[in-house]
Amino acid sequence: MEQEKEIMKKNGVAKWVIAVIALVVLVGVFGAVYYAYAPKAQEGSKAITITVVDNEGEETVYEWKTDAEYLMEAVNEIEDLSLDGYESDYGFFIVAVNGLEAVYENDNAYWALYVNGEYGNYGVDTQPVTDGETYSFVYEVVVSE
Amino acid sequence: MNDGREKKISITDITELGVMIAALEVGKMALNGVPNVEIVTFLLILFTVYFGKKTLLAVASFIALECFVFPAGLWVFMYIYIWPILVVLVLLLKKKGSYFMWCIVAGLYGLCFGAMGSLVYVVTSGPAAAFAWWIAGIPFDIVHGVANFVIMLVLYPPMSRVFSAYCKKKTVRDERIRDK
Repeated sequence: MEQEKEIMKKNGVAKWVIAVIALVVLVGVFGAVYYAYAPKAQEGSKAITITVVDNEGEETVYEWKTDAEYLMEAVNEIEDLSLDGYESDYGFFIVAVNGLEAVYENDNAYWALYVNGEYGNYGVDTQPVTDGETYSFVYEVVVSE
Repeated sequence: MNDGREKKISITDITELGVMIAALEVGKMALNGVPNVEIVTFLLILFTVYFGKKTLLAVASFIALECFVFPAGLWVFMYIYIWPILVVLVLLLKKKGSYFMWCIVAGLYGLCFGAMGSLVYVVTSGPAAAFAWWIAGIPFDIVHGVANFVIMLVLYPPMSRVFSAYCKKKTVRDERIRDK
């Protein structure tokens, strides 16, 4: 009886050890997939276009050459272009572009980031800069029904 | 007062549904500020283990409620299948389910959350965009999976004791009513 209990206990511990190892392995696999497929920042001089579309739909275009790895650094290099915001748990949260604030609580508005016309998957501080790409900051309003 | 016909939804069911929906919504809101750490997966597994199919009704109400709280977006379509699939999965595994299994299910569900959510982008923007969206979210999925595993590991034993005591009391009460 005692022996059986001991075996059961050992089996239980083994099960948990296997589960934790399996979870760690899976996390490793996911991490490897991310490392393999996530876009990499390029080094060297890159020509990029940054477009700002304000609340009236007016566009301001900046053609720029940069060595920046991430978009935030490239934006900071451009004197006529300013970003204001704060660090959040999800990355840098844009509140204002060129002084124009988008406050969701007040105006149902926010600043969206598009990459080559597609809605961006990364924040401005984690968006890698690639030669020839176009980045757009667009003032967008959520229309509630 | 049993007239021989079984009521489809009793007052107890409605009360339980109310508590489930409130717990889901409050739990969701309470952890909103912590990226990809949520208690909804844990609660849905727990509710499905103890309340069964009824949890699907709670999920439907929870999704509807979320639409009133947050601006509508593609996430609504993700929620419409992601949460019910979890409930169905637990219903299928329930007979062989154990504390150990629920920890695994919760962890895996968190890890695969982004992959499942990306299916919406397959429809709206094509497979390449869906893949890019999934890849971008992998660091968050990893946090999600580990957090789900730990939450289940810590909360399941005390919560299951409470739920199992409640279900036992309910069975005794139902038997007494039937005997009258």
